[in-house]
Amino acid sequence: MQAELEPNFTLDLRGESCPYPVIYTLEALEGMNKGELLLVITDCPGSFRNVPEEAKAHGYTFAQEPVKNGQEYLFYIYA
Amino acid sequence: MKKHTLFMRYWNPYVVLVIAGILSAFYFGLTSTVWAVTGEFTRLGGDLLNLLGVDITGWAYYDKVHLQGTTWSRPDGWMVWGMFIGALIMVLLSNNFKIRKPQQKRRYVQGLIGGIIAGFGARLALGCNLAAFFTGVPQFSLHSWIFIVATGIGTFFGTKLTKTRWWKGRPTLTKGAAKPSTVKKRVIQPYVGSVIAVLYIGLIVYFFATGQKLLGLGALFGLAFGILIERGQICFTSAFRDLFLVGRSLMAKAIILGMAVSSVLTIIIISVYDLTPITQIAAPSTFIGGILFGLGIVMASGCETGMMYRLMEGQVLFLPVFAGNIIGATLLACAWDHLGIYSTLVQSGAPINLLDSLHPVGAILATLAMLGLLYALTIYREKRYHQKRTMKKGATDYAG
Repeated sequence: MQAELEPNFTLDLRGESCPYPVIYTLEALEGMNKGELLLVITDCPGSFRNVPEEAKAHGYTFAQEPVKNGQEYLFYIYA
Repeated sequence: MKKHTLFMRYWNPYVVLVIAGILSAFYFGLTSTVWAVTGEFTRLGGDLLNLLGVDITGWAYYDKVHLQGTTWSRPDGWMVWGMFIGALIMVLLSNNFKIRKPQQKRRYVQGLIGGIIAGFGARLALGCNLAAFFTGVPQFSLHSWIFIVATGIGTFFGTKLTKTRWWKGRPTLTKGAAKPSTVKKRVIQPYVGSVIAVLYIGLIVYFFATGQKLLGLGALFGLAFGILIERGQICFTSAFRDLFLVGRSLMAKAIILGMAVSSVLTIIIISVYDLTPITQIAAPSTFIGGILFGLGIVMASGCETGMMYRLMEGQVLFLPVFAGNIIGATLLACAWDHLGIYSTLVQSGAPINLLDSLHPVGAILATLAMLGLLYALTIYREKRYHQKRTMKKGATDYAG
């Protein structure tokens, strides 16, 4: 069990379909200060792949591996 | 245990689309028809009109798509239901079904309007991302080349719309952490999925055993395509859109590779078995239809194929999209002769097949060259996106 991370912000995207999870995530990260932590909760299956891949492609880093929580995923991303 | 992981993870889109390309070539070899869905959507619209008491005898478009029998007695019908069922089985086996309702209520309206535009555009062009794209190029039908270019243009404008604040809406960004959903301990979805799988395979066996070979093949290949698009999360909408939106190229590259493999295999099948490729009319309607289709699928967040597995995942947004697709296709069928679409936009065209215009060797070389060019443009676009972004970021960092 990892130590609990303390996100500065949470983006709750449950119910939203692609491409909005990836757009919202990148926008939120862009608006945050460098080093702040964003938690993304999403349940669109397409976003399980495109959110982490695009966050990385846009130069953001992950605080930990994505967490699968039933039919949704939790992503911890540093702005 | 291996089976378990196979159904718990998503598959590589390259592998999935190469398999889909190979299967669609075989399906053509076995049935002389292609993997397609919107033709059946048009027929479903015709069935509904009949049900509502509308007299559609003499509507030219329904003659064109051979509206006969019911969806259960048409191989194309089973292709559609097979895809739905294949996708559903995969969703259930991976315990991934969930009613997913968009927080932004505007999505329902966007989905319905986009679905109508995409349904109308696809049928105007005589095919969607399958018959006028993924399975159209390997038939060497020139209309699919026009359709691809037009879809790219339509998608470009759709993406512009998606980026506006009033269209995308504001997400709920809250301070601090929030609680994820509680996970149910009892997992029943895989059992339900297995039962459906067994029943459906039984049905396919029944079709073959009773000599209804075409229905069996439609049901079988539909199942396979449904499994593939769900496991690969194959999204034709995202292929162009995400390239413009976030510089993402994965889906576009995988689709191009799948079409290349399918083209090579199809030309072998055509020459060995002496089959006639399926050629659709290339006309102004192809171009206009492609633009409408590209715009509509981005507005709706999914095309006629992608919406199928998303609906099975429980994404409620795709109910209005599905309804819109059928409404759009039906509107086109009505407008075809009643509003003079055929005489103004289609009649001037002609079915052109590269196999007739060029030697088979020329046709396959031209096709591969065109796909190679598309691939190069995709990579170029992705590079440009990231270059521009770094430059913009550099400028703001400096200013800050």
